[in-house]
Formats: sequence, structure tokens, C-alpha cells
Amino acid sequence: MLRTEEMLLNVGPQHPSTHGVFRLVLKIDGETIVEAKPVIGYLHRGTEKLAEDLQYTQIIPYTDRMDYVSAMTNNYVICHAVETMMDIKVPERAEYLRVIAMELGRVASHLVWFGTYLLDLGATSPLLYAFREREMIINMLNELSGARLTFNYMRVGGVKWDAPEGWIDKVREFVPYMHEQLKGYHMLVTGNEIFMNRVKGIGTYTKEDALNYSLSGANLRCTGVKWDLRKNEPYSIYDRFDFDVVTRETGDAWARYHVRLDEIEESLKILEQACEQFPAEGEILAKVPKIIKAPKGEAFVRIESPRGEIGCYIASDGKKEPYRLKFRRPSFYNLQILPKLLEGETIANLISILGAVDIILGEVDG
Amino acid sequence: MLGFGLAKGLKYTLKNLTKEKPTYEYPNEPLPLPDRFRGIQKFYPEKCIVCNQCANICPTDCIQLTGKKHPDPNKKGKIIDTYDINFEICILCDLCTEVCPTEAIIMSNNFELAEYSRDELFKNLEWLDENDENIRKVNKA
Repeated sequence: MLRTEEMLLNVGPQHPSTHGVFRLVLKIDGETIVEAKPVIGYLHRGTEKLAEDLQYTQIIPYTDRMDYVSAMTNNYVICHAVETMMDIKVPERAEYLRVIAMELGRVASHLVWFGTYLLDLGATSPLLYAFREREMIINMLNELSGARLTFNYMRVGGVKWDAPEGWIDKVREFVPYMHEQLKGYHMLVTGNEIFMNRVKGIGTYTKEDALNYSLSGANLRCTGVKWDLRKNEPYSIYDRFDFDVVTRETGDAWARYHVRLDEIEESLKILEQACEQFPAEGEILAKVPKIIKAPKGEAFVRIESPRGEIGCYIASDGKKEPYRLKFRRPSFYNLQILPKLLEGETIANLISILGAVDIILGEVDG
Repeated sequence: MLGFGLAKGLKYTLKNLTKEKPTYEYPNEPLPLPDRFRGIQKFYPEKCIVCNQCANICPTDCIQLTGKKHPDPNKKGKIIDTYDINFEICILCDLCTEVCPTEAIIMSNNFELAEYSRDELFKNLEWLDENDENIRKVNKA
């Protein structure tokens, strides 16, 4: 028997599979991970502290840069929080535009995850297919908001732009196209034996662990907990749509893969219905004062982002800037279970486990 | 059967071989961008009324401006003297064009800002005035 010594291995912060600047300090014994210590903060910009000197409208572009893969949900959560405090009723057309934009963002976000996860596992072509479809969504959102990633589209009380002519039809046409492509993804990846061996039974945790670590989103639903804020605590106009909450029972990376891909289908269902119900005309911005001052007090709202529950807490002392602003950033919470999952695993499984958590470092570091 | 899934995947790849190319030949051809695209701002000095709203709303404080008295003594108000945008920190969020009451500052479709030195990213009034290609047609919703 060869005697091996424990050794420290740094993964990241400049490692392509960490999806940003995430560092892991691994204590390894041969090929087995004995202890994993995540080091975060390389992308910390202090959004919450900066927000204390900013007006509410000025904070919106900062939220774009937290979860930069699905910025629409971040835009929504801050607007929703201020609207809740000020008791603003958002016009119907604006609500539909918001939901369509958010669901498109969710599809785009899951496509990025699908592509990059497969890339992490060594498959190159799924990324190209996923990004082909994502590019279509990004182009649509670009037409709507004027930017490809940092949309800055929503405002307190509505949205900045109305849908351009023919835009809703484009979204409507995109839905069957995407359904078709999803079948292709399953053909390309889901049945692939190499992929199945890399994800089945890897990174498994139980329902209790998921709840104890306060995981949310696909990371929670993969253990069989049926919890989706769009269904359980409907915000905006989500109660008008018919869709299912996708769950799986096994709690491994394979389950998370299926939950995310099926969630794209559910988002497409919502998009289809939203385009159908889209009001022909109407206001896109409620009557709000030019300088927005949230009343004295506090509020916490939470919504379902592609990565989990994103929350926004505002404490206001009645000024035009918040006294304290806090975001509950789902990636940060989802990442907490990582050291536990990695213990005893081999290095080869490390990327497979980390990738399945679906973290965005802009959000982890805030 | 081992290998069946791989073969199915390969079939999908082969099916996609004949599909239309989705990529752009970007540096050789200009990128197709929508009218709403938020690129480098164009500034109209004659329209500006020096109300300071753009500088106040800017989330990164990248706009600096000064005004002077109107040279015609019969006219009230100020006219713009200097107007600088620091593109090292500008995030092209569009808030300055949103608040401008006279549409003196509007977005264009130009986005190529790479420079060899940081100082060159500091754009003044003359530069922003000359940036008059591909300007956004519809500026407010």
C-alpha cells in the first residue's frame, strides 16, 4: 500500500468551470476530497451598501448586475418591493410584459445552465445548440429593452418600454420552435450513457438536508418538495396561468438536470398563455410621483428566480433612498451545501456537483 | 444498450449540419441592432437647458456638466459650457436620456468604445456632439 499525504489544492478563482470567480480550497487525500472550503467575495461590489445612497430608480441597473444571467427577475424583485411599500397598482399590460420578459429570461437562464453544465462535463456541442436558442431570446429582449443582458427594463409602477410592433408574435412563434429544440436536446444529451454515468447518483442529498440548508429553486425541487413561489405565493399575475411545478424524487444531479429542462417547458406554457391573454392596449406605467419615496417602514417580498427564491428587504425612513436594502440571493444560499456534498467525493465529480448547483457569482458575492 | 444514446445524439448533430448559420460575421459586417439599443450617448448642446437632471439621476455619477449665462442678455436661463461623460464608469443604463426634458442627450447604436488609454474614455462635449451616427429614433415610450 502506497502511503499518500494530504495536500491542499486550490480550484479557482480563475477556473472556467467555477462560472466566475469562485475559489475552492480542497484538502485532498489522493483523489478523494477530505474537506472543501469555498472562498467567495471576489466579485463583491457592495450593491446593498451602494443602494443606501441611491434613489430607487437608480438601484434597478445595479440589480441587473447581480444575477446577470436572468436580470429581469432581479429588476422585478426591487420594483415589486417598492410597489408593495407604496401600494401601487401596476397596469395590466405592464404586468403581462413583465411576466413575458421574466419567463423568457428564465428559459434563457436554464439554457445557459444546460449548455455550460454539459461543457463542464466535457461535451462541447450542447453549448452551441443552447446558445443558438438563447441568442434568439436575447435578441428579443434586446428589441424590448435595448440591452442584451443588463436590461434595466422595469420601473417602479410598470415597465419602461411598450412591446415593439410584432414583438408578441415573435414570442408566440418562439414557443413551438423551442418545444421542438427541447426534443432535440433530449435526443442529444438525455440518453447519452457517458452523461448519465457522470450525473446519476452524484451529489445526492435528502429533502431534510435541502430544507435545513434553505435551498430553493431546482435544488429544492429535485428532492421532491413541491415549492414554487409562482404557485404557492402567486405574485404579479401568475395565478392566471396554468402550469405545473416540476419535481423529481432522487435529489441527485440527474434530477436537477431534469427539473431544469422540464421547467423550460413550463415556462413555455406560461409564455403561450401570456401571449394569448395579452391585452390589446393599455397603460404600461402607473401614475407614480417623479421622485419615489417609500413610506416609513419595512417590507420583504420574495419571488421565484430561475435559481430559487430571490427576496428583497427594504427598510425605509421615508426618504428617497432606502435606509437599508437587502437581497436574499438564491445562489448564495444554494452554494452552502457544497462542502457537505463534496466530502468524500472524488475530484472528477467535483465539477459535476458544483455545476449542478447552478451558481452565478455576481449573485453569490452581491 | 451501451452506445445507443451516443448514436442518437450523433443523429441530431448530423441533422443540424444542413441548418442555416446563426452566427454573424461581426467585425466584417455591422451587427444588426434594434432601434432601442443603448449605445454611446449623442449630445445636442443647443437643446440643453442645464437642468442637471441627467447628472443627478446617474447611478454611477459619471456625468459632469457646467453651464454659463446666456450670451444674449435678453434671454433668461443658462446654456451648456462643458459636458463630460466618463465612459470608464458609465453603465449605459439609459436613465440620463429618460429624465432629459428636452431630449438633449439620447442614445445611439454605437458601442465600440475600446481605447488604448484610460484618459481617452473621458469624452467631452465636442466628442459627444460629433457622435451623430445611428441615433435612436424613438426616444421615449
